[in-house]
Amino acid sequence: MNRFTLKAVGLAAAAALTLTACAGGGDDPAAEPDPTTGGDDTTPVTITFTWWGNDDRASRYEESLALFTEEYPHITVQTSFQDFPNYWTARATEAASRSLPDVMQFDLSYLREYSENGHLADLSTHIGNEIDLSGFDDALVQSGVLEGQQVGIPTSTNTLALFYNPGLLEQTGVEAPAEDYTWEDYNEFLAAVSDAGETTPDGQAIYGGADYTNTFWFFLQWLVQEGVTPFNDDGTFGFDESHMSDFLALTTDLREAGQVYPVDRGIQLLPLGGFTVNESASEFSWDNFLAGYTADSGTEDIQMLPVPTGSGGDKAMFFKPSMLLSSGANTEHPEAAATLIDFLLTDPEVGAIFGTSKGVPADQAQRDAMVLEEGSIDATVVEYEDAVAEHVTEPVPVPVKGFGSIEAEYKRLAEELAYGTVTIEQFVDSWFAEAAMMTQ
Amino acid sequence: MTIANVPVGSVEPTSEERSAALRRRNRSTERTKSVLFHIGVLAVTAVVLYPALWMFMSSLKPTSDIVGNVSLIPDNASLANFAKALEGIGGVSFWTFFKNSMILAVASVIGITLSASVSAYAFARIEFPGRKVWFSLMIATLLLPFHVVIIPQYIIFNNLGLVNTFVPLLIGKFLAAEAFFVFLMVQFMRNLPRELDEAARIDGAGHIRIFTAIMLPLMKPALVTSSIFAFIWSWNDFFGPLLYLKDPALYPLPIALRLFVDQTSTSDYGAQMAMAVLALIPVLLFFLVFQRYLVGGVATQGLKG
Repeated sequence: MNRFTLKAVGLAAAAALTLTACAGGGDDPAAEPDPTTGGDDTTPVTITFTWWGNDDRASRYEESLALFTEEYPHITVQTSFQDFPNYWTARATEAASRSLPDVMQFDLSYLREYSENGHLADLSTHIGNEIDLSGFDDALVQSGVLEGQQVGIPTSTNTLALFYNPGLLEQTGVEAPAEDYTWEDYNEFLAAVSDAGETTPDGQAIYGGADYTNTFWFFLQWLVQEGVTPFNDDGTFGFDESHMSDFLALTTDLREAGQVYPVDRGIQLLPLGGFTVNESASEFSWDNFLAGYTADSGTEDIQMLPVPTGSGGDKAMFFKPSMLLSSGANTEHPEAAATLIDFLLTDPEVGAIFGTSKGVPADQAQRDAMVLEEGSIDATVVEYEDAVAEHVTEPVPVPVKGFGSIEAEYKRLAEELAYGTVTIEQFVDSWFAEAAMMTQ
Repeated sequence: MTIANVPVGSVEPTSEERSAALRRRNRSTERTKSVLFHIGVLAVTAVVLYPALWMFMSSLKPTSDIVGNVSLIPDNASLANFAKALEGIGGVSFWTFFKNSMILAVASVIGITLSASVSAYAFARIEFPGRKVWFSLMIATLLLPFHVVIIPQYIIFNNLGLVNTFVPLLIGKFLAAEAFFVFLMVQFMRNLPRELDEAARIDGAGHIRIFTAIMLPLMKPALVTSSIFAFIWSWNDFFGPLLYLKDPALYPLPIALRLFVDQTSTSDYGAQMAMAVLALIPVLLFFLVFQRYLVGGVATQGLKG
């Protein structure tokens, strides 16, 4: 009996501590965990939670979940994690047997596929109850809504950036592009760096960067700048063959002159790339890749620029949810699942634990709670997103069904184009033929 | 190669000198041939083993020196990667992954040797109604691609509440569902002379006695071959554990290996290489210890004393 009371007192004390800690974290109402929500029913439940990521992410989640268990002792969270490609194999099998995890990390490109088949729970009934989204940007929350159902809630954002390596640029004597650079300026930059004829200490030639027309998301960014909405609500494309040919033609001269990073060397280096082995001076990617780039290349000094200005005179950037949290439609404990989602999305301490490793947190309270050391990777990414916020004028294109496949097909064809085995015309024809089948 | 050493006592004394000279000449051409042969084989071995050697040497390098670097010699070798790998992932120690792999592999070996040998005895020696039909059905499961049965199997195990346990990965092995091994043993048993069990039957032995006292000891090569394959396959299996095991504390090594690599943030290739080396050691040892049986088991067609 004594031991029991002792335990109860201990638990209460721990809970009280967490409450004060949270209350001290920020004045935002989102920071206040409401003791009544999700806590009405304290019968012990066990929910499952799955994510993709490496060992670093696993330890951050373990730390966050320890806090969660402290606050909600009646909810036991069973965790599981895999790497990204295998994550989707495992989820597909579970979806087939209607046994998806109660809470899981989700990616925008798979969202439509799973929600169309009714695999994801509609979280909108929990918003305002268990889930408090008052610290969220409305437009961002909308990116998790498909056909009126909130099938996912973004955890964090990222946006495209041009990374460049000032050390390599110094060696080649080429200036980094100015912030208001255009796609043509960037082409000139690529050519200038490649033509400088410098080599790395290993004797590999230094290039300006990879052919940026090789990635589907860059095409989407360019389309948005041209004033084209890539995907319509009914799942059709807002662009046609001529848009794609125009985009691919941007770098035809560079490809022919061998002024972009050679595709064969790039394939040799997989899973790294020219930029991460310091043989390529710049690369477009998502801004939260900075941590990976810094670690893989061993280069401390990597700078970021917004994307080039389009023909319309603005950059028309968008914030993309870097990942979302969703709940399987088969969940038996929707309230507990929603409670966990809310905790991971809005608890300031969780924000501090993750920093920008998943992207910049979507919730204001979590952003405020991050401890940003001057010059750290987290600080650089947050500063970047703050700086480009003025250029973010467009909503993120919500991927159509089969997005993963058409994206992969684009990448495959881009590789062939780089090898010179297909022409732009053949590229566009076969992509549209494939896309017509995959998005049915 | 050993022909030259065969005693030639039956040769007539008069030709002895001539044959000795011939043998010497033979031996020297044999020797040049053998040297050339070995040089060739070593060169091919070097090519074949290069990736393994590269993996081993890379495990001593820092992560940034691994990918895109084909040289073998590390600039500054260290065991830091091994320390990182042994620490484990997300609070689960390396030894837990190792233990899980071991449990799965050893249980697979036990399950397969027990169940496949008994079923093989039934197919090879017992005349029961529908034997041929059942045998062809069993062979037919070999033709069924694994991917066709995954989802129905998963649904069944999920409804039985057995997902996230080792049961789905092992139960088939204890129930002789691995047709390959049953087939291997049936073929082996068919080559054993029936006279042996007929003699035992005349002496009053039943099926159990014949199986344990006569068949099992004679089947040693087939049993060893099956054990080796069962061990290596289970040790390297990735897909089964990926689908059926959810709790990281139940993951075997092949799944754990992948967790060091994340395309969306940072990847620790060094630790991955180190863990790959550590994961390779047991299966390599197992192979070295049993390899003479492995070759023997595959090569044995008939009966040897």
